[in-house]
Amino acid sequence: MNLSNSSGNLMTVLWILVAFVLLVVGGLIIAEATPLVLPPQASAEAAQVDELFKIMLALGGAIWLLVQGAILYSVIRFRARPGDRSDGPPMHGNPTLEFVWTLIPALVVVVLSIISFQVWVNITSAREYEQQVEARGARFLWSFSYEIPGATQRVNSPVLHTWVGQPVALGLQTTDVNHAFWVPSMRIKQDLLAGRRTEARFTPVLAGEFPVVCAELCGSGHGDMRASIVVHEDEERFLAWFDEEAFRILNPPDDPAEGGELLMTSGGVAGLYACAGCHTLETLGWDSITGPSLTGVAERAGARIPGMEAERYLLRSLYFPSEFLVPGYAALMPQHQYQDPDEANYMPLNEGLAIVAYLCTLTTDGESACDLDLLPAMMEDM
Amino acid sequence: MATITATPGLATRRDGEAAIRLASLLRWTLDHKLIGLQYMASSLFFFVVGGAMAMLIRWELLTPTLDLMADGTQYNALMTMHGSIMIFLWILPMMAGFGNYLVPLMLGAKDMAFPWLNAFAFWLIPPAGVLLVAGWLLGPAEAGWTAYPPLSTLFSLDGQTMWAMALHLLGLSSILGAINFIVTIRNMRPAGMTYWKMPLFVWAVLATAIIQVLATPFLTGGLTLLILDRVAGTSFFDPGSGGDVLLWQNVFWFYSHPAVYIMILPGFGMVSEVLSVHARKPVFGYRAIALSSLSIALVGFTVWAHHLFTSLQPALRIPFMITSMIIAVPTGIKIFSWLGTIWGGKLRFNSAMLFALGFISLFVFGGIGGVMLASVPVDIHLHDTYFVVGHFHFTLFGGSVFLIFAGIYHWFPKMTGRRLDERLGKLHFWMTYIGFFFTFMPQHIAGALGMPRRIAIYDPAFTNINQVISLAAFLLGIASLVLIYNLLRSLQTGERVGGNPWRALTLEWATTSPPPPWNFRGDPVPFDDPYGYGSDEGRAYLDAVDRRFPAPTPEAVEAESGSARS
Repeated sequence: MNLSNSSGNLMTVLWILVAFVLLVVGGLIIAEATPLVLPPQASAEAAQVDELFKIMLALGGAIWLLVQGAILYSVIRFRARPGDRSDGPPMHGNPTLEFVWTLIPALVVVVLSIISFQVWVNITSAREYEQQVEARGARFLWSFSYEIPGATQRVNSPVLHTWVGQPVALGLQTTDVNHAFWVPSMRIKQDLLAGRRTEARFTPVLAGEFPVVCAELCGSGHGDMRASIVVHEDEERFLAWFDEEAFRILNPPDDPAEGGELLMTSGGVAGLYACAGCHTLETLGWDSITGPSLTGVAERAGARIPGMEAERYLLRSLYFPSEFLVPGYAALMPQHQYQDPDEANYMPLNEGLAIVAYLCTLTTDGESACDLDLLPAMMEDM
Repeated sequence: MATITATPGLATRRDGEAAIRLASLLRWTLDHKLIGLQYMASSLFFFVVGGAMAMLIRWELLTPTLDLMADGTQYNALMTMHGSIMIFLWILPMMAGFGNYLVPLMLGAKDMAFPWLNAFAFWLIPPAGVLLVAGWLLGPAEAGWTAYPPLSTLFSLDGQTMWAMALHLLGLSSILGAINFIVTIRNMRPAGMTYWKMPLFVWAVLATAIIQVLATPFLTGGLTLLILDRVAGTSFFDPGSGGDVLLWQNVFWFYSHPAVYIMILPGFGMVSEVLSVHARKPVFGYRAIALSSLSIALVGFTVWAHHLFTSLQPALRIPFMITSMIIAVPTGIKIFSWLGTIWGGKLRFNSAMLFALGFISLFVFGGIGGVMLASVPVDIHLHDTYFVVGHFHFTLFGGSVFLIFAGIYHWFPKMTGRRLDERLGKLHFWMTYIGFFFTFMPQHIAGALGMPRRIAIYDPAFTNINQVISLAAFLLGIASLVLIYNLLRSLQTGERVGGNPWRALTLEWATTSPPPPWNFRGDPVPFDDPYGYGSDEGRAYLDAVDRRFPAPTPEAVEAESGSARS
């Protein structure tokens, strides 16, 4: 480009303006792809995060076009003609240009930092009247627990229930390794750190069911460690679910097997047990594959270990799982214990007994395969 | 003059010209050129191994359920090995190989400052590789290359300990090599070569070495605590006994973020050389590029916690966002300077240049993704998803590996006296660029849409995008085989070249190809401006070099191949 005369200068300025306009338009077009690459905006936070994402996509898109354009232009315009063995012009730099291309990116990142900070403050501020939910990650199941007003028991569920417009404040704890609670539709993610209780908050704005995904490598079943959030349309519909669950927890059935089933679906004093995280069990709708299937387990329990009764096998499997590894599976089942309520994997013996009672009914005809009267003596003998 | 002295590892022909025999790379040698080639050969071996693992990963990910892998642990072990090998046994030592080969030559020196230390640092690598692979067989490391406790301490088998021991050896190798580079560059520049007249590759290696000596000891510390927790009953990372899992995360990333600059900075130096030579133009903004390498090295120590935005205490997230945004600026300066270098030049599109241009094209995409990840609210959504996997493959493969490829095509003639086949080079480039783009660009989309990383079982909604990614990855895998074939074949039958086939001004080209064991006769005088293209003095200097170190005549090549072996 010949810069030595004023019409040359004018042409250069015009070309720069044209390029600038093209870049801005190009960046804006690229930014329009934002809704295509992000899940539906199911939370109040999502809308703000997506707006920020879009701004960065527009700026980034423009810069990308600038660089690709410069490369393409150079590749065509400055190709050495065949046979031309000469050198290019001895240009070592241009201080003005270098200053400009230092200043502009610096300004861009300052602006992005300020906008990001504003969004951050908005989405992390505490709200009034938050719904408190305790979430737990255990290899490989999520569980959520709610206070039952006036009772010591809590409602435990593998699904997080809330309702549209209700700000949720989550307390997150892990029973084993680090996990991460991620709800893509809500744009929130928070790690669960061993030894700590961490927090997250969000306000759902769409009714529906939204996936929860574990986003911190936690072992073999990490890809399977999924849950959902059910956002009811209003508080009434949430309470319809909640009240039924609370009633079941506060009025456990007398029949031990039914009590065991309730424990397996809704947890006990220590919260939800993580069985569904690893096991398939048709009767309860579980489909995880990290551990062996429990469907029809009572048919097999008596014959699994020669000389060991079905009742003892099922009971010991809860508390000493590595004694009876099924070939093809790794020793990943947590070892439950009944001595210390504050330690991880606490399962009081009475609950273990009820769970065994339920497992005993997993036969082809649904009749219990066990003599439950034998269990108390076996419990003494652990 | 033409004495046939048996210098270890080289078959001397005449006038000090030498040939490379692959078997010679298995011997202990103090010659920095052979050590450089040893680094490169071992790195290329592990590139193929790590690449094969990537192919298995992508095969598994063709479907949302487990098929190739028996269970999640097998998959996690595979991806842990893939990452660990690619970082610690491919990119890091390959960059060290280029540094070892080129820095003394560019400085007109006979060798590095500490030749014995140089050899020792290389020979730590094969045992480390053995330890790493042996660990896989013992009960594999499955916690990713990031090895977060408690998964890596309380829930992993002995392979995790072997992994940590292997990384100890590799970290030691890195530190020793870096000390060597710093001393060599400081003390062994030729008369007249001030810091401001050093080739930019030497600047890059200097900045890299500074990072290596300052950061790697933190990895050593972290690994030591990890090993102790695993074997000695300590509880540095066990909250149940007074430890803290975040301690590992912070110490690990305090090293591992600067580590990514260790992996890219030498490449940045190489691309400055390649672009300048093949555009026949000085590097645009030499001082800015030199200083930006140092500022990246410095600021790179202030950003580490952006790798743990979702586990870091909330009050610290914004400060690390700010530092992470700042570091985009020196990198941007480099990209614009490289564009300024080619703008208005006389571009020659050989394979080295294609990879250099491909690098700029791809790296900027990775850099933009990096700025998006630096923003805390956006990172909350994108952290630990395939968006991050796409991002770091753009910077590490589209960045470091493309630069390594450019360096291979550019310096292979110097190292071996032969050119790589250009048609195969162009095939390699186009297959790699296209395969790369369609492997890693869609990963950004998958991640943003909700696919986490490090999983073999995924939501079936992501099946189509994963199949596209896997097919493109298979193309990429085949492309890399084209390079390996080209390397092996050209060693035998590549076109013979003289000292300076590219007519470049830096000192490594002012001797034979390959150089004799003593590099130069006497003390070479560097040309005043390592990027003085377009000047009459530059032209005259290059003509003189061509007269002194011409390409062998066809008759000479005939005569040699009659008497020479391989």
